[in-house]
Amino acid sequence: MGALEGCPGSRMVDMRKKEAEGTPAVDVASQLRQWPIQLHLVGPSAPYYQGADVLLSADCVAYALGDFHPKYLKGKSIAIACPKLDEGQEVYEEKIKSLIDDAKINTLTVMIMEVPCCMGLLTLAKQAAASAKRKVPIKYLVVGVQGEIIKDEWATN
Amino acid sequence: MNIKMIEEYLNKGIKDVIKQFPPVADILNEYKIGCTTCGVGTCLLKDIVQIHNLPAEDEEILMARITKIIYPDQEVKIPTVKKKKEQVRPEDSLSEGKKPSEIKYSPPMKRLVDEHTLIKRWLAFIPAMVNNLDIKSEKDRRLILAGVDFIRSYADKYHHAKEEEILFKYFDPNLDILKVIHQDHETGRGYVRLIVDALDKQDSKTIAENLNAYKELLTEHIKKEDEILYPWMDRNLSTTQTGELFSKFNNSDKQFGDAPKNYEAFIARLEKGA
Repeated sequence: MGALEGCPGSRMVDMRKKEAEGTPAVDVASQLRQWPIQLHLVGPSAPYYQGADVLLSADCVAYALGDFHPKYLKGKSIAIACPKLDEGQEVYEEKIKSLIDDAKINTLTVMIMEVPCCMGLLTLAKQAAASAKRKVPIKYLVVGVQGEIIKDEWATN
Repeated sequence: MNIKMIEEYLNKGIKDVIKQFPPVADILNEYKIGCTTCGVGTCLLKDIVQIHNLPAEDEEILMARITKIIYPDQEVKIPTVKKKKEQVRPEDSLSEGKKPSEIKYSPPMKRLVDEHTLIKRWLAFIPAMVNNLDIKSEKDRRLILAGVDFIRSYADKYHHAKEEEILFKYFDPNLDILKVIHQDHETGRGYVRLIVDALDKQDSKTIAENLNAYKELLTEHIKKEDEILYPWMDRNLSTTQTGELFSKFNNSDKQFGDAPKNYEAFIARLEKGA
């Protein structure tokens, strides 16, 4: 199979030439303020979710974005998931709904990769929000495999 | 070009700049910056350029053209357009001669825009109401009073209160754009007072004049908010602040119960001629 064929989510892309353009290594402080972070493992009743701005991120996002911690994670509580590979995603929907209704989160920001299968995470979040009693603003950002922000918008519920 | 020279005009109110250099108005219009029709015009030239969020290349060309009008004898370089993929969406660039794309609002700002839609539907009804007004008719007087109630309760208490008591608190009250918006609200309230006074005196001419003035004011005011103010505010509010606004708007709306729905029904009845 050639490099440009098959599922965009698993298609091979060689980006090694980017290394030469990279900035020198510096210490960047972690903005993570909780553990655990995987959506199966977190509980909506955790104190760091109460009234918080929550970031629901696809697993790959933090690897693609060079400035994920200072720019996107800072000030937010997080949950991560993979809409392509994770099992038991009906639990995810219930947990997101509970974050909205019970933890009374302030906003939900969904960050996904540009590959089509990743859109499933936004769909899941929207479904959960539609079934929740409370309404919260949902923002979504689409990240390119080269680490660029392709889209940054408020979702229409 | 002496930078201090152009700074003098960047810090001037737009109406003064246009008065002194009328062709500046044509250039602003070209970029869909509608300051020429603003009734106040105290916003500074520099703030206007910043608040409209033009693509960097368009802003550079706009400023170069304005500078050329102010200082016709000076050498002003008008830059050639270079596309920056990450900064300029092609559909947004007026240099390309294309219309700006649809404005995307945050959820709280979208709610205010939706409320404007109902207010605009009432404004659209004003010409017919003015043309057919029979001040001796009890039915027509009741219609004017119902319109006044819509302005005072829906447009002012329900909608403008969300702006003045919640949204604007997130910004510096000394901003010229906010002063202009406040002034529009006050002017509108003044027109409504005159309509009510004229109704008591059965003065149909004054009622018609002030209804028309209100329509003209609000039409321009809504355009200013939808196209300039709200997008600028969205760009300056953090995600956390947007969430807070959404929640505060919800709390504010709860105080009004079913009233907004009743006003929607009122406008729908007017449109059906009932």
